Amino acid sequence: MRLSFPYMGPTIVYAKLLELLGHEVVMPPKPNKEIIDLGVKYSPEFACFPFKVLTGTYIKLMEKDVKNFVTSGGHGPCRAGYYGEVHQRILEDLGYDDVEIIVIDSIHDDYKYFYDVAKKLKGDSSWLQVYKAIRIVYDLTKAIDEVEKQVEILRAYHDNSVINKIWMEAEKEFYKIKDRNDVERVKNKYLEKLNQYSDKIPEEKDRYRIGIIGEIFVILEHSINYQVEEKVNHFGFEVERSLYLSDWINENVIPFAGKEIEEIEELGEEFIEIQIGGHAQENIGHILDFKKKGFDGIIHIKPFACLPELISQSVMDDLSEKYDIPVLTVSVDEQTADANILTRIEAFLDMIREKDYEEVV
Amino acid sequence: MDKIKIGIPRALIYYYYFPFWLKLFSSLGVEAVISDPTSREQLDQGVKNSLSEICVPIKIIVGHVLDLQQKGVDYIYVPRFKSLRKDAVLCPKFLGLPDLFRHSLPQLNDFIISDTIESKSDDISDYSNYTELAEVLNIAKSEMKKALKKASDLWQRYRKLLFDGYLIDEFLALDNIEALEAKISQLEKEDDLPQSRAEVKQEEGSEETLDIALIGYVYNVYDNYVNMDIINKFKELGVRIHTFSMVENEIIEKELAQLRKPMFWEFTNKLYGATQHFFKDNNIDGLIHITAFGCGPDSILGQIIELDAKKYEKPFMTLRIDEQTGESHITTRIEAFIDMLRLKKESS
Repeated sequence: MRLSFPYMGPTIVYAKLLELLGHEVVMPPKPNKEIIDLGVKYSPEFACFPFKVLTGTYIKLMEKDVKNFVTSGGHGPCRAGYYGEVHQRILEDLGYDDVEIIVIDSIHDDYKYFYDVAKKLKGDSSWLQVYKAIRIVYDLTKAIDEVEKQVEILRAYHDNSVINKIWMEAEKEFYKIKDRNDVERVKNKYLEKLNQYSDKIPEEKDRYRIGIIGEIFVILEHSINYQVEEKVNHFGFEVERSLYLSDWINENVIPFAGKEIEEIEELGEEFIEIQIGGHAQENIGHILDFKKKGFDGIIHIKPFACLPELISQSVMDDLSEKYDIPVLTVSVDEQTADANILTRIEAFLDMIREKDYEEVV
Repeated sequence: MDKIKIGIPRALIYYYYFPFWLKLFSSLGVEAVISDPTSREQLDQGVKNSLSEICVPIKIIVGHVLDLQQKGVDYIYVPRFKSLRKDAVLCPKFLGLPDLFRHSLPQLNDFIISDTIESKSDDISDYSNYTELAEVLNIAKSEMKKALKKASDLWQRYRKLLFDGYLIDEFLALDNIEALEAKISQLEKEDDLPQSRAEVKQEEGSEETLDIALIGYVYNVYDNYVNMDIINKFKELGVRIHTFSMVENEIIEKELAQLRKPMFWEFTNKLYGATQHFFKDNNIDGLIHITAFGCGPDSILGQIIELDAKKYEKPFMTLRIDEQTGESHITTRIEAFIDMLRLKKESS
């Protein structure tokens, strides 16, 4: 089947999986001004930003004659779980009758539908091949995340472009892997390459770390969060996110692997008692976890008017005061300006250094 | 000894469950204090004390809760509405409402009673939903169960009247339980038709009566301050109003069964089911979706019904309200909409 998918984070992972299952994969374009404009034009005004980006991506891909899109579903209460249903209707209304959006829902929600989708995506491969493909892709995701975590540290002490170049090369080479040995080999190669730059990492007391939390799409996808991570790195701060793609897979796909996440959720219960959708409760837990690990501040990114993240933003002041950790909340949407984010981040990071300085004095 | 005073904010789901709560608290021998109808001051307080990005209904409830605190109540009842059906929840903001109060207005911590309501149907009278309340008020389980039964019975009677075609608006002004019960008994006996079916009295030669379905959550449709008294505006213009609360559950369920995947939010689903029913009803001349700025579930629902309206060829309009809505804007738009419907009706 000729198909594509929304652009989020390390897209090569999804591409690889579908490719290994024997599909003809069309790489989705990276979200840019044109795609965002298209999305805004054809989406409901108050749909969240990720929804609009996806609309734009689909329409752009249809120009390349792609008719099938694979996307994730969910059972709420975050809106994202219903994107697929609405996109299907919007595209049909635009006159694209033969478009199909294949929504991967949890097996628990609707067994029969899940089975149909699985069969469709499996194509002619045997179940053993499917199992193997998933194993490779899972390893690949973990390897990519491991390399990226190094990148997020080293960029703080080097010119962004030097490290980014290695990172881009790595992504390209990861895309060519064939089996699990390849994954291991590429990963080690690039970790070693990055290791050459690690001598500039200062002593423990001089390192500053910022944790990034928020809504999954905007924290994973750099092209729509205005490269927040690079901006933070640029001012000499290391970055770590609360979520990497492998975490998401652990949480949603691999059964019984969610032990760690449960612990994080429990931490979050102090401020948000029950699961309210999205990653709101985990995010609160992650802040407390980052604090324990000695992080100096938190940047909280969310799409404008995101339902669950508005509740987490509401409890943020109280949390920040109680646990003495600075938090900056940034809403992004199609109207956000780059300079606005840059200024706010710069001021925030200045404040953190200043705070530290006062404490030492 | 004075009765314990429990404050109920006149906001959000109050408009759906107020007969239930009033009966419950009166049966328990507790004085229920309801905040004043929404006013500019309350809304300003709400806006000041919540995030600018959050939707106006949440800002309103914040204003109401602060209003209650000033009234000197002993407790404020803000339950966490989790679900009213298996596999569906309410909007995340309802799920996190008590957390929002506890952490953005910490001075309210000792006031708030926030039982989690987790029910399989609209009938929320199961004892497990009231354990915190029973503990705080020091009420025995058997007594609580008795009171819940009474509340549930009254609410069922009231719902029957709604299904008959009465507007929630007709009961809202009665915020003491005796008057409310009297009104319910009176309407049950009466032979007059409810507004949605009654002839609109008109002078000779005047325009045709219209039937408009007003699609929106109870707290947008019935909060006369924030929606600029839209219901009375319609009445003055000779329009009969139909809302989702007049559509019986079975009909809504039947419509929902057509979806591969129902939406996740209970009231959004109710609106969807009722809207589909109105689309198929030939007596309905047009639909208006009234929604709050930045409402998440409505951004999804609105898109779906807008596309469906095209399919059914029904006139459809979206009215968006927030703390800055101007009255003339609402008036102009509904008048234009109504004129258009009348022209259409007269020409056919």
